[in-house]
This record gives sequence, C-alpha cells and structure tokens, in this order.
Amino acid sequence: MSEKGHHPAPLSPVEQRVAALEALLTERGLVPEGFIEEITRRYESEIGPLNGAKVVARAWVDPGYKERLLADGTAAIAELGFGGPEGEHMVVVENTPAVHNVIVCTLCSCYPWPVLGLPPSWYKDPPYRARMVREPRALLAEMGCPLPGDAEIRVWDSSAEIRYLVLPQRPPGTEEMTEAELAGLVTRDSMIGVARL
Amino acid sequence: MTVPLSLSDLDLPRRNGELAFDAPWQSTVFGLAAAVVDNAFGGDREPFRQQLIKAIAAEPARPYWESWTAALEAVVETLPERPAP
Repeated sequence: MSEKGHHPAPLSPVEQRVAALEALLTERGLVPEGFIEEITRRYESEIGPLNGAKVVARAWVDPGYKERLLADGTAAIAELGFGGPEGEHMVVVENTPAVHNVIVCTLCSCYPWPVLGLPPSWYKDPPYRARMVREPRALLAEMGCPLPGDAEIRVWDSSAEIRYLVLPQRPPGTEEMTEAELAGLVTRDSMIGVARL
Repeated sequence: MTVPLSLSDLDLPRRNGELAFDAPWQSTVFGLAAAVVDNAFGGDREPFRQQLIKAIAAEPARPYWESWTAALEAVVETLPERPAP
C-alpha cells in the first residue's frame, strides 16, 4: 500500500474485501512476496497482443505455417514460443472476404491470454457478452467495424475447453512489408474480430 | 511460462488497448486469484472459473472485478482452514 498524502481516502467496501482476502491468503502462505506485482507486470507488459500479432504475421508470410495454425492452433502457436495458462486449446479461425469471425465468452471472460494478454474491459462487460451473440452485425457496426451485408458473421463462444483467435485478412498493399512490419499492423481488436485491418 | 521479448516490442501491447486495471485493488485481486490457482490448486483454474461464472450469473450487471472478488471469496471458503505445512 502506498502513502497518499496526509488524508488517504477511506477504503471502499470492495477495497476492504480485497484487503481482507490479501491478508488472509498471505497469512496462509499462498501469496509469496512480490507475487502479485510480478504476475501483474508480466501480464501488462510481457504477455500481450504482440504475441498474437507475431502469430498472425507469420501466417501471412508462410503458407505452411498458416496451414498448421488452422489445423492445430495450440501446436502452431507453441512453435513461436507462446502457450501456457488459458491457451492450451487454441483454435484459430480465418477471416475471408465472405466470412468474418468474432470471439466472445458468454459465461465469464474466457480469453486467449498467452496471445492477447489481459482482456479489454468491454470484453468482460455484460452488453458485449450478450449482444455479440444476439445481434453481432449491429454491435460490430457500433464498435466501428461495419460489414458488408452479404458477409457471413461467425460468433465463437470461448470456453474453458477452447479459446479462439481470429486470423484477420492481410491488408492490401502490404506485399513488400517484412514479417516484423506486418506484425506491427495487427491490432488486438482485429484478433478478437471487432475490427478489420 | 517463458515469453521471448525484445526491448523494442515493449510498447506494443498497450498500443491498441486500454489499461486492464482501473484501480490498484483490481490488479491485487487479479494477482490473488492467480496465487490461489497456482499455490492452492496446483495450477487448476477450473474451481475459480466455476465460481466466476456463478458470480457473474448472480449479478450480471455487477462490475467485472467485483464479480472476480466475489468469486475469489467463494473459492477461499472452500480452502481447508489450515494449510499443510
């Protein structure tokens, strides 16, 4: 806990509950010194959408890799060194001119953490979880991703068993770009499927 | 897990994402849940996930990290009183 001047704000009810949990779990020896700082730092700065972007860029430049990625996402992602908790059973779904894929978790917040990092706040919110299933086209348009009327939208509901990652379409005019440059184009939202590149 | 990194990449994860945590207590409860999964359940996330599903279903409009807190409280209830030494 850091000092916040002479008059620190009183803890809110939820802050009190978290402080009580922290005290209890620390007393039971379940929270090693520095654990929280370390895991938070890793998820915020090391593990993030960049990993997914590298996967996508490799698939764009290497047809053999793309084939393996679509056949067995977990194994192909592990080829690049990514994996671990919340990424054991990855399925990669490919966007085409005719098909647009988008991922959601209707029950909680299942998310492919090793390739996308921490989920954005809207991904966890009830309106996204409910509306992406009920009216994906309208919600995608509201989120700045309008789709042509004849494009098929496939909504993939993530679960404990399967985590999905969208393989966006490679933007036109990028034929001369290197794999690293291509990775820089790939956004988190495009790999969730709420944006097109 | 080991993740290969190069320094020039470090700014990228945030480029198109808002911060995942809006307040320190949210990152604390995130880390506490990770600690419980790792150190009380041997890395098995399913008990926590089931409680998170229940917590969200019980109050769908509740802010996410508050549901996360409720789920962690419920998981902690199931832990043995005294840990093995």
